[in-house]
Amino acid sequence: MTTEAVLQLRNLTKKIGTRTIVNDLTFDIPAGEVFGFLGPNGAGKTTTIRMIVGLISMTKGEAIIKGVSVRNHFELAMTHVGAIVENPEMYKFLTGYQNLIHFARRHSGITKERINEVINMLGLQNRIHEKVKRYSLGMRQRLGVAQAILHRPSLLILDEPTNGLDPAGIRELRDYLRRLTREEGISVIVSSHLLSEMELMCDRVAIIQGGKLVDIRSLQETRDTAQTKIIIEADDIPAAQTLLVSMFDSSRVSVSGNQLELMADKTAIPSIAKLLVTAEIEIYGIHAVQKSLEEQFLEITGGEMVV
Amino acid sequence: MSSLSMLIRNENMKIYRRPRTWVMIAFLILTVALLSGMMKWDEREDNQPNWEQNLTQENAHIQKQLVEIKDLNPDHKAYLTEQIKLNEYYLEHDINPNDLQLWDYVNNSASLTILVTLLTVIIAADMIAAEFSWGTIKLLLVGPASRTKILVSKYVATMGFALLLLLICFAAAFAAGGILEGFSGVNQPYLSIDADNVVQESSMIVHALQKYGFAIVSLILYVMMAFMISAAFRSSSMAIAFSLLFMLVGTTLTALLSEYSWVKYLLFANIDLTQYLAGASPIRPDMTLSFSIMMLIGYYLVFQFVAWLLFTKRDVAA
Repeated sequence: MTTEAVLQLRNLTKKIGTRTIVNDLTFDIPAGEVFGFLGPNGAGKTTTIRMIVGLISMTKGEAIIKGVSVRNHFELAMTHVGAIVENPEMYKFLTGYQNLIHFARRHSGITKERINEVINMLGLQNRIHEKVKRYSLGMRQRLGVAQAILHRPSLLILDEPTNGLDPAGIRELRDYLRRLTREEGISVIVSSHLLSEMELMCDRVAIIQGGKLVDIRSLQETRDTAQTKIIIEADDIPAAQTLLVSMFDSSRVSVSGNQLELMADKTAIPSIAKLLVTAEIEIYGIHAVQKSLEEQFLEITGGEMVV
Repeated sequence: MSSLSMLIRNENMKIYRRPRTWVMIAFLILTVALLSGMMKWDEREDNQPNWEQNLTQENAHIQKQLVEIKDLNPDHKAYLTEQIKLNEYYLEHDINPNDLQLWDYVNNSASLTILVTLLTVIIAADMIAAEFSWGTIKLLLVGPASRTKILVSKYVATMGFALLLLLICFAAAFAAGGILEGFSGVNQPYLSIDADNVVQESSMIVHALQKYGFAIVSLILYVMMAFMISAAFRSSSMAIAFSLLFMLVGTTLTALLSEYSWVKYLLFANIDLTQYLAGASPIRPDMTLSFSIMMLIGYYLVFQFVAWLLFTKRDVAA
């Protein structure tokens, strides 16, 4: 991983009338990462992404892709970008292959061999000469990925890529993205409101709320530092509670239904088990639950999540 | 960065890979065939064997008119004297003017440029709006091609389609004429009276191209208008509907409003340049050919500018 930033946002702002949709975003996205934009609906994720790719004009500020300003040198900046913007809509009256030719022609130097290589990589070779209108959504999604990586971009931008995909399709897309970052060294920017998806896909996420950057965090770090919740199922909950309070701080123990919840590191599990067993409390189960991104996200955004 | 020629190839692919386009082309060829067939059928109906006698009679009649009617309009008078000259020429060279020749079919097909205009207007109105309807506009714009370049490629492809239809129209009429009357008629000259009142033979193909030329002026303007409307709408059916509406209603409306002097500034009042040919009169008496040409150039430039503004400056949300 190099430290050079693939994408730099500098005071990026979008105003429509008096409404500020994106407010003064400044941050860098380093090369070789899967970077997620996270935020409630209407937070400005899509607007930000569309400003980066030139679909929406910037009111103020700049987006710089590999050192090239999108505003001043749009065509050059876009040679580094591959994009899948929402559901990949293709020309339905053309075959998959003709669609790829269409996108390949916009770039210089894409050979037939490269097109075939991408087709094989995505497993489209059997139906590539069929009209796209006969493709399933998953096939179209794959064609969308193919179109985006034909010219070996340094930066792949995906705007709500999982909209309308079934779980298998989402998983497939995730696998492609992993392969692409690994094999072709592409950096990826994903925006989504599906938190569980982002959690599985991204190395880092930027949390955006009300057009402002709230936080950028590494998911790996979050996973490592996150406090674990230990859930204990047992027959005599009140007795177990008294025992646990004697061992941990009372604010960290709570009862929910038939379960005891304890905020502690999972290394505490063996001693908890020992404690309960010696007190002759029947244990049905002890398991550790990591705080999900969703819970953390709700914490940060103050529970204003609209999904 | 994209080269313009590659973008034009893309636009062409999107036009000619749609079955609709080929239905249009087939329709045009069928119409030319139908028109030619009707001309041939009509000729059989009223082609008299005693045409020489008729021409002599006609000339005698015209002579009588010229002598008897004193306050004859000078334009009309010139027309009648030219007619006599032509008729004499026909008799002298043993040419039956009612006998259809290959070029008559081609000259007649010039009236079908209105159909060519109509079909091209449909394609033009669809050109930009369809990308929005299909949802492909985003992928189209997110690429190493500026919006101006994409717009130019779309316009060039549209005009290429118009040119193709015109060629097909011309060629189909030529073929129909050749099949029905024989290709030997190719060398038939166009007869006209020059300033010295002498019958001149000139190239028929030049005359046919002139007939097409006037129609092409209105084609260019209508197509440009449809193209601009296409940039304004996000739905191709709306864009097509409005373009056709303006095209079909515009001229009628202008004719109805012709008593008002501001009508001369309307596109539709100027779009038909044949109104300045001999024997016709413009919609408003104060209009001149150069005025109309200036107006048409003005409208064309404004349409281009508005289309460019709408296409390049708009945010593509949703």
